[in-house]
Amino acid sequence: MSSDDHAPSIGILANPAAGRDIRRLVAQASVFPIAEKRNMITRLFSSLGRLDIGTVYMMPDGNGIADRIRHALETPPPTGQTWPRIEFIDMPFEDRAVDTLVAVDKMAALGVGGIIVLGGDGTHRLVASRAGDIPITALSTGTNNVFPAMREATIAGLAAGLVATGQVPVAEGSVRNKVLRVDINGVQSDLALVDLCTSTALWIGSRALWKADGLDQLFLSFAEADAIGLSSIGGLIRPLAREAENGLMLNLAEPDNAPMVVTAPLAPGLMVDIGVEDVQELRPGETIPLRATSGVVALDGEREIEFSANENLAVRLEWDGPLTLDIPRVMAYAAENNLLTRMNQSSGHAKRANQ
Amino acid sequence: MQLSKDDLLKAYRMMKTIREFEERLHVEFATGDIPGFVHLYAGEEASATGFCMHLDERDKIASNHRGHGHSIGKGCDVHAMMAEIYGRGTGLCGGKGGSMHIADLSKGMMGANGIVGGGPPLVCGAGLAAKKLKTNGVAIAFFGDGASNQGTTMESLNLASVWNLPCIFVCENNGYAEATSSKYSVSCDDAADRASAFNMPGVVVDGHDFFAVHEVAGEAIKRAREGKGPTLIECKLNRYYGHFEGDAQTYRGKDEVKNLRATIDCLDQFRAKVTSASLLDDAELNAVDDDVAVLIEDAVVQAKAAPMPAPAELLTDVYISY
Repeated sequence: MSSDDHAPSIGILANPAAGRDIRRLVAQASVFPIAEKRNMITRLFSSLGRLDIGTVYMMPDGNGIADRIRHALETPPPTGQTWPRIEFIDMPFEDRAVDTLVAVDKMAALGVGGIIVLGGDGTHRLVASRAGDIPITALSTGTNNVFPAMREATIAGLAAGLVATGQVPVAEGSVRNKVLRVDINGVQSDLALVDLCTSTALWIGSRALWKADGLDQLFLSFAEADAIGLSSIGGLIRPLAREAENGLMLNLAEPDNAPMVVTAPLAPGLMVDIGVEDVQELRPGETIPLRATSGVVALDGEREIEFSANENLAVRLEWDGPLTLDIPRVMAYAAENNLLTRMNQSSGHAKRANQ
Repeated sequence: MQLSKDDLLKAYRMMKTIREFEERLHVEFATGDIPGFVHLYAGEEASATGFCMHLDERDKIASNHRGHGHSIGKGCDVHAMMAEIYGRGTGLCGGKGGSMHIADLSKGMMGANGIVGGGPPLVCGAGLAAKKLKTNGVAIAFFGDGASNQGTTMESLNLASVWNLPCIFVCENNGYAEATSSKYSVSCDDAADRASAFNMPGVVVDGHDFFAVHEVAGEAIKRAREGKGPTLIECKLNRYYGHFEGDAQTYRGKDEVKNLRATIDCLDQFRAKVTSASLLDDAELNAVDDDVAVLIEDAVVQAKAAPMPAPAELLTDVYISY
């Protein structure tokens, strides 16, 4: 393992709890085992070690991923691989969302050159709320997500390492994301990366929003036609790219009372008819008061905020979201600039390749 | 599912009854008048209530050593329960079972259980009976994080899946198996992770939030009644007292329980939510508090005054005649 304290560092934040919600019961949402998250992380180690990342900082957890990583560190890496030094951040672990926030703050204070996130939309939302301009490498651990993609960790690790070591400039390899911010009584409260939906449901309850009943308004930062979840509602009516300037706002209604009905895949294996009254463009900076006077707000598919008549809620689209790595672009830059290739001058093959 | 006002009052009454029953036992056990061990359920009320609110006479439950809350949730008589714990002849089991073997088959409560992991095999039997007799009933096993590691639990998960039984396995993970932290003794962060190995859904839910438990429980029970098979649900929660009464709890952090009571108490959360949403008001909830206080006081007074089992009862209830 490398022990160069001056070498660039990276944070890895893997949420052990991701993928255990009610969608496993009411739909056929995937189960992503802890063992595979551990395998993904060791594949990240292999890539990061190859790129001379000095230290990888990780969030501790109860008895899941961190424990398996500690076991993996008890024996040498596979032959031919060099892993960075792995350090678990000194922090309390409460098995709650606040752990992620604390871990990101600590990683930022340690000066990491990037944070690799393994989780769903919810985990990425939490990281995005604290990461500032630290580039995020977004890796999905399940099929129920929109913001992060499912990618091979080896390649993601290479991309993150190339940017963290400065071989690929941040400006070349990353993109800025939009966010949907929610204000309560004029005070900025929370954010969503993809979708913000209001419902007349009374309780946060089991968090996931998976029923059409009571859905009232939907705000989208982008909407892909092949997405899963709430953003598919907009994506199937008016697809909107991540890089598009605006967002979308949809007023929803009961299917029987709406001029348009969308058959939307709200969760894996769960198709639901959603009534849509209208669709409007949502311009950056524009503040839209919610039309419901009470209910819950779901951020990226999870009920997070209960509100009542004495609270005024409003939503804004802003272009000040997290920086995320564009992995294909980073790897293309690496190819164009021979960052991962070298010529063996003593080889006859190399001479021929150079001709 | 939106709950009616009557449902909300029923849920609050159930949780409050469990809480006051346990708080009173905590006081009474210290007097030395109660024989045997008691393991208190205070702090975990939202779990038993969230599930039992969905159950009726078709359904069976199997509990564990911490079984008072499940018994009250399934409708066992509070006076008879208190008398049972005092070892009196008027007790639910004639005073012969005590806290850890309390049962009322007429209510579908198949028993608390002194054997860790003893409940899950029982609900496989109850689930098989419901399936074969087409009662549309379900069977629920409540067990802890310690029992989640037991072979009996694993075998039951497997059998329920193989036979596609209407069973729900509820792991009430309060963080400690006796004095051993589940962070040390369970090989995964979430016991619910193990569900996928048995080809069933596994869900984690906040066991301090009645509404979260009630929603997840409702879907699992509906799924079981529809013949779609078993589910493993892990309720993350905390107990307010030791593993048993008298446990010095040296394994717990300073002010751990005090902080839990102040921040995530299930009764406080429930009250705040329903009053904030103007579904119930404080006066209505306080009236329930008063009713429950009278009920528990009366149960203790009657239990203490009740006769011990007669010597002639010593050899009865040992075997059952078929």
